[in-house]
Amino acid sequence: MDLSEGSALGVFTCELCELSSPYSFYGQKPPNTRAIVLLEECYGMRDPFCPEREKFLVLGSKCSLCCKTVCVGTDCSLFYTKRFCLPCVRDHLHQFPEQVQNEVQRKKSVQKTSSS
Amino acid sequence: MSHEREKSQSWDWDSPQCRAQLDEVFFRQHDYIQTGRTEHKEFWTFFERFQRFKAKKEMSGSKSSRQESDEGKARKKSGSVDLGLPKDYDARYRINISVCSKDIEERLGGSEHRRRRESSGPGRQEITDCRLALLHFLDFNQKQSFNKLSKLRREQKSLPIFQYRDRIVELVRTHPVVVVAGDTGCGKSTQVPQYLLASGFDNIACTQPRRIACISLAKRVSFESLNLYGSKVGYQIRFETSRTTATKLLFMTEGLLLRQIQQDASLGQYQVLIVDEVHERHLHCDFLLGVLRSLLPLRTDLRLVLMSATINIKLFSSYFSDAPVLQVPGRLFPIQVIYQPIPSEEQVSRSEKLDPRPYLRVLQGIDQRYPPEERGDLLLFLSGVAEISTIQEACQAYATHTQRWIVLPLHSTLSLAQQDKVFDISPPGVRKCIISTNIAETSVTIDGVRFVVDSGKVKEMSFDPKAKMQRLQEFWISRASSEQRKGRAGRTGPGVCYRLYAESDYDAFASYPVPEIHRVALDSLILQMMSMGLGDPRTFTFIDPPPASSIQTAVTYLREQGALDEHGELSSIGRLLAQLPVDVVIGKMLVLGSVFKLVEPVLTVAAALSVQSPFLRSAQHNPDCSTARQPLNSNQGDPFTLMNTFNAWVQVKAERGSASRKWCRRRGLEEQRLYEMVNLRRQFKELLRTHGLLEDHAASRAVPQDRARRRERLTERQKLHQLKRDHELQENTKRKVLRLEEGLEGDASSASDGEGASSGKKRKDASEQTVDIQEVKFKLRHNVNELQEAACASADLSSRQQSLLKLVLCRGLYPQLAMPDEHNATRKDSEQVFHTRNKQGVVIHPTSVFAIDPEVLHVPEHESSEFGADKGQSNRHQLLAFVTLLETNKPYVSNCARIPALQALLLVANSVDTNVDCSRLVVDGWLELGLTDGAGAMKVLSSALTLRGEWERQLQAQLGQGGPGSSAGLGLSGPKVSRRELEKLCEGLVRFLLYTEVSYSLRRLAGLQSQNLYIGPQKDPDLSSASSLGSLFPGMKPEPDAIKGGLRVCSYFTYNCLRDSKDLYSECLRSFWSCPHCDLYMPLTPLERMQHEVSCRPPEEQQPEEEAEPESVNTSSSSSSGLTRVYHCDICDKDLTLTSTEILKHKRQHLS
Repeated sequence: MDLSEGSALGVFTCELCELSSPYSFYGQKPPNTRAIVLLEECYGMRDPFCPEREKFLVLGSKCSLCCKTVCVGTDCSLFYTKRFCLPCVRDHLHQFPEQVQNEVQRKKSVQKTSSS
Repeated sequence: MSHEREKSQSWDWDSPQCRAQLDEVFFRQHDYIQTGRTEHKEFWTFFERFQRFKAKKEMSGSKSSRQESDEGKARKKSGSVDLGLPKDYDARYRINISVCSKDIEERLGGSEHRRRRESSGPGRQEITDCRLALLHFLDFNQKQSFNKLSKLRREQKSLPIFQYRDRIVELVRTHPVVVVAGDTGCGKSTQVPQYLLASGFDNIACTQPRRIACISLAKRVSFESLNLYGSKVGYQIRFETSRTTATKLLFMTEGLLLRQIQQDASLGQYQVLIVDEVHERHLHCDFLLGVLRSLLPLRTDLRLVLMSATINIKLFSSYFSDAPVLQVPGRLFPIQVIYQPIPSEEQVSRSEKLDPRPYLRVLQGIDQRYPPEERGDLLLFLSGVAEISTIQEACQAYATHTQRWIVLPLHSTLSLAQQDKVFDISPPGVRKCIISTNIAETSVTIDGVRFVVDSGKVKEMSFDPKAKMQRLQEFWISRASSEQRKGRAGRTGPGVCYRLYAESDYDAFASYPVPEIHRVALDSLILQMMSMGLGDPRTFTFIDPPPASSIQTAVTYLREQGALDEHGELSSIGRLLAQLPVDVVIGKMLVLGSVFKLVEPVLTVAAALSVQSPFLRSAQHNPDCSTARQPLNSNQGDPFTLMNTFNAWVQVKAERGSASRKWCRRRGLEEQRLYEMVNLRRQFKELLRTHGLLEDHAASRAVPQDRARRRERLTERQKLHQLKRDHELQENTKRKVLRLEEGLEGDASSASDGEGASSGKKRKDASEQTVDIQEVKFKLRHNVNELQEAACASADLSSRQQSLLKLVLCRGLYPQLAMPDEHNATRKDSEQVFHTRNKQGVVIHPTSVFAIDPEVLHVPEHESSEFGADKGQSNRHQLLAFVTLLETNKPYVSNCARIPALQALLLVANSVDTNVDCSRLVVDGWLELGLTDGAGAMKVLSSALTLRGEWERQLQAQLGQGGPGSSAGLGLSGPKVSRRELEKLCEGLVRFLLYTEVSYSLRRLAGLQSQNLYIGPQKDPDLSSASSLGSLFPGMKPEPDAIKGGLRVCSYFTYNCLRDSKDLYSECLRSFWSCPHCDLYMPLTPLERMQHEVSCRPPEEQQPEEEAEPESVNTSSSSSSGLTRVYHCDICDKDLTLTSTEILKHKRQHLS
């Protein structure tokens, strides 16, 4: 009945925020998605918030620089042709285009104000 | 124009044709997103927004040139690693998804040149645009879902219980019983089951006191465990289950788990049992704990987790040999408590209406102190519905004046739509004022409440065993309840709680509410205990044992009902009743009804009497509703009215589907109750079938259905399933915003009133556009045609069937009988008074048909003689059989049926006592029937005894006295009663009920009279009269009654035990009489006459053997030995063994 059940390959855990969830595929090709290809090797699962069975949800992948496993959440990583964890983005901030720089800096300030 | 046929111009993104062409490229049948699905629609909406966004960006000018130089600089600075990132920023680079549709594109691209002029198919640019939009769309969806996931995880982490996660799992691993105590908001109900599930426990059951909580928890937990669309987490309640073989965590009601224990005492299917809300101390929960406690030693692998508020934790821990307790702090915002005791001049006595001033002051105070921009609603706790409407009225006046409040009532007798309104949102600057019973204390949780007003009162049901009456009384609440109410103000932010009592009052409150087991009738509980083989209920180790008297009352009651035999063991009917999840009385009706082949109507009546009344109280005073209801009313009684209503509703459903909603509204009916009835009815039917009380017609009926019909039904079902799924998806849509007038409308608080009001109409239209999910579920669950057939069958009951049904009702409900006061005929309709055996002066509930039309209960004046000894004599006396007796401000009986007094009593009463000539009958020690026609009396008695004997015999045969082991197939094991026998019995009963033409008086015995009722034991019992009775009531062996005196003829009938001056053989009672069957004509006493009648049967009824017997005076025939007795003839001075007829003939010899 439930194809999604019992098919977990393991548990994905973000090394930065500790978000964790079982994942059911790893790679560039989510199952049953035909024309769709991912541009990185991803941890993914069936989209639990969507009634349709074939919909997938990418949980995270490895940072292309430091190889840390990170979730796709904007507080942990970003994608710009490749996956970068935010610490790595900050380390190489100047190689990123202005839009990305602004975005990251804005996030920093927001985090500061919210944490203070 | 031809030169304008540039492709970019002729391509129209809004044209459906153009879109369809792109659909061919991207959204084909096996693609990720398929044409026609919701997502496909969403894409095109997204597409439009995306295009607008792009256009806007282009308008604001390109910054790319400047950016390039910036980037050039950046690259120079960081030297070490070149990440190889593209120089030009493009949002496309932020997306980690690509869509390959080369095959199609190439095909189109190849033909592009040729087709370009004829068809305006999509060019490269269009495809690129569309693909880009699609990528952004997919990315957007990914982000949305991921945000949901991450929000969910954040929320889970922030729950107070999260820190205890490992500790809880560890404790459960190492201890058979663990108590988790945590206050509101700590997350125990949602998280603990998940923790256990995630750490590898399988087959977890979690019980809840309320059905609604089972559903909502299952939904929430399956969402949280990312299994919303799977069935790992499920629920099971009375009529509904989402359980599959994949289900590992099941939420269920306490009652249901108890039923499962009844089937499988070891509960082998579960590994972990979580009993939630144990502190609420519901009857079922207390009992369940007791049962589990005795189960634990037998199931050492079973894990039991009790979850409770931080109330009285020690009690639970010590009940399970000091089980470890894990206490979790709650998560409540600070709440300011303000004591505002009601000043004495505003306090009211019991009879008066509540004074609204203290409540209005709170509203005013809030308006003065808190600016309207600061949101936060008010929740006001009152004790009952009457109080709510009083305060609602006053608050509404204030709200209309200030325009700052929307006043909404909340109690269980409101329609569900009305109840649902409390969850809607008020417009800005306006607060909700929800006036509620204690339903909002635990059962209903409303977010956004900032202010709580606590009256400190609650109405609680208690059982008065003396009067056998439920009583709804007002009490002070307990400190625990008071805290619970307060807590409702601090769920979403800091709050204020106004207590309308003094702090000293608070200190004087009881610590905890009285557990239900101490308040209610224990009949069903005791019955269930007996059937579970738990031994003597008096010695069972309850967590908090109920008073012994309460158990005794229940045992006595069950014995009266025939569920227990004289030794206190389950009778065969009792065993069956224990399986039925209904009140004993309702269960009895079902069993009796199925024996008489009145299954369809009895199922309906039993179901109708087991749910809340579908008749909305608010529609009571609406003349339109009353008129529309009129044709449904039956002056036979409320059960019949309910049955008519149900049948009519089924007809409407069969013919017009969801139009039934409107039909119900017009009549002031809560359709939900009718759905409950139809579900319950089905459950009853299945139960009767599994117990062999119902022949299985289904198999034979299914055959003629041809394949086409079956397929049709199948496709319909598939469609319905889809509708149900769609509905479930929509369910999480946002709440409506309330309008200021909403409260006003609620004032009339009738759904049918709302129909006229403009806002009501809007609401209705909106609701009718959406799928009527109840209708969908109904169609999925029931075969409408079959129901319609059943409804038709019970709609045209013959008067014969109707009176049988009434008898079934009456025997089911017995001893719940009331007699009309003798002066009712001279009283106003509203002042009719009735008496039960234990309670005098009860009144009919205003919702009953007899409240509208009490005259049908009066003895017709012309039929009762008003003078002399015949005063009050009639053959039309009636009694009321009722379902409930509930005292609120008055003792009310509700769900009544009228029944012919003498006939019904003789057929169902447990104790019928007579005087010597049976002219005076006393039933159950409180009803006295006076029959001047002694002969008639004897005749009636005799036929009643015969009928009852036969009825009992057939009933037992149907139930099958198959011994104790045969509980599974009770009905099947016994010898079946032949149809002829059954018909004969029915015929006899009907004739007895309808055509017994004997006049009698009916009165209630006063206390003193009922004390000196009996002769008492006699030293020298009159054995001759015993033997004469033997002939009067063949097959019975009268014995002297040790307590009442007289002769106990059978278990319920004692002859000649009433103190009476009359002498059986006194000559004055003799009168000349001629027998219609033989040529006898002589002066006889009534008893002698009866004796003759019994033995002298009309020739056609005589048995062949008897006919063959030569009627000689001196022969003692063995075949008719039951009719003969020793007769001493004084004239002959001889002892003769003769039948009564023979004696008379013998006597005549001497006379002539």
